Amino acid sequence: MKEAIDIARHVVGKVAEIPAGTRRMVVVEGRPIGVFNVNGTYYALKNSCPHQGAPLCLGTVTGMTLPSAPGEYNYGREGEIVRCPWHGWEFDIATGKSIFDPHKCLVKTYDVTVEAGEVPEVETYPVFVESGSVVVHV
Amino acid sequence: MEQQQEATIEPKKARTGIIDCDVHPYPRNTEEIRSYMKQPWRERYNGGGRGFYGNPVHGDRLDARPPQGGPSGSEPELLRRQLVDEYGYAHAILMPRAFCNLHPDPDFGNAIAAAYNDWLADTWLSKYNADGVFKGSITVNTQDPQAAAREIERWAGHPHFVQVMTDSGARAPFGQRQFYPIYEACEKFGLPFAIHPGTDGMGINVQPSPGFPTHYIEWHTCLSLGFQAHLVSFLTEGVFERFPRFKIVLVEGGVSWLAPLMWRLDAEYKALRYEVPWLKRKPSEYLRDHVRITSQPLERPDNDAYLLQMFEMMDAEHVLMFSSDYPHWDFDSPTRAFPKLPEALHRRIFSENAIEFYNL
Repeated sequence: MKEAIDIARHVVGKVAEIPAGTRRMVVVEGRPIGVFNVNGTYYALKNSCPHQGAPLCLGTVTGMTLPSAPGEYNYGREGEIVRCPWHGWEFDIATGKSIFDPHKCLVKTYDVTVEAGEVPEVETYPVFVESGSVVVHV
Repeated sequence: MEQQQEATIEPKKARTGIIDCDVHPYPRNTEEIRSYMKQPWRERYNGGGRGFYGNPVHGDRLDARPPQGGPSGSEPELLRRQLVDEYGYAHAILMPRAFCNLHPDPDFGNAIAAAYNDWLADTWLSKYNADGVFKGSITVNTQDPQAAAREIERWAGHPHFVQVMTDSGARAPFGQRQFYPIYEACEKFGLPFAIHPGTDGMGINVQPSPGFPTHYIEWHTCLSLGFQAHLVSFLTEGVFERFPRFKIVLVEGGVSWLAPLMWRLDAEYKALRYEVPWLKRKPSEYLRDHVRITSQPLERPDNDAYLLQMFEMMDAEHVLMFSSDYPHWDFDSPTRAFPKLPEALHRRIFSENAIEFYNL
């Protein structure tokens, strides 16, 4: 028997269907997953908050107040944070880790790749993007 | 907008018999409430909620906002799907948010309370309630106890109003005698009196902390202070001696403070009984007969064993009732908010205590 766990690839949509700043909800092998495009990079998170099971990936995609001295507000990371639609807990979309306790409170992530379309008739970048597929590896 | 929900999770259909003691229905818009008001109030009323100390992020579950618009908790079909059907409820006890007792003008407060009661009776307790799953609360304005008593009398015969409710924000601790007309009416009609956070430190009411805190996180955490003060007041003023069949329920005021507060009060009583000679028992001994407390927001320590100990110490088997606070942001899931409980305790908390308390 092979040692590696089977990782299956699942095409979840065309690149053009999930432009930057948007997301798509899918179910892969029975698992609800949110696929996010953050500034051109794709990430996939389990659509279930580790706290009480809310549909995390339906939450607000936003920025966050960065660590600061008392009385200071520094806002940043716009578009890189998803906030749970129930209790408002913040998660880093790229890592699935919560902001308040990244080591103990995190949501499962999945690898995402972009694969070329099957008929790459014109080898230019824009056409590649149009025809490529977003693939989640579960 | 960009969300493409391509797959939804099938709701669980099993009837679990859960009774949720804190669910918030909202009117679709201000006009819905205004239509039940006479002039000059109809023209004057502009809805309005708490005013300040708003949640800085979102105050309600984002997935509870109706897709067709309107506030969370305003579409019965969505509420039923996300709550009643999802978790197999037997009943949801509805607590509207009228915020009527923050107004300096008691007549205005009375008009708002009455309009909310008319609205709830016409909609959630009848038009949307063919199966009787919804039970309601009679909103009263505590700054006019005589008018509040008349409002209770107006609704007491209704089959689906099961309690009287008001905000924990008040001008004085609730054990004091100016409120007794309300308790007399509650006792007469067998309706428990529920206190829910809402107008603490708003309008004419006292803030349950030393002055006004800066942030929502402070205000929200310290809401339990007001509940503690009200409970101590009910117990020491002898309200349960004066009104022996009167019952109260503390909704959304926190849970785990109950046991140590009662230890302290009982300890004080040993020396200070002199001051409150009408108490025939230790203050804590009135609890099981007269007081219930709802679970949300349930304190959840890292170690579940601590919470289970708290339940034992506070007699949760008899005094604790489940609540979710749907559709608000700190919603407690019936299946996820609690650690694993012994089955009998689970039954007491999630249904039996409420069945007994509300005669359901």
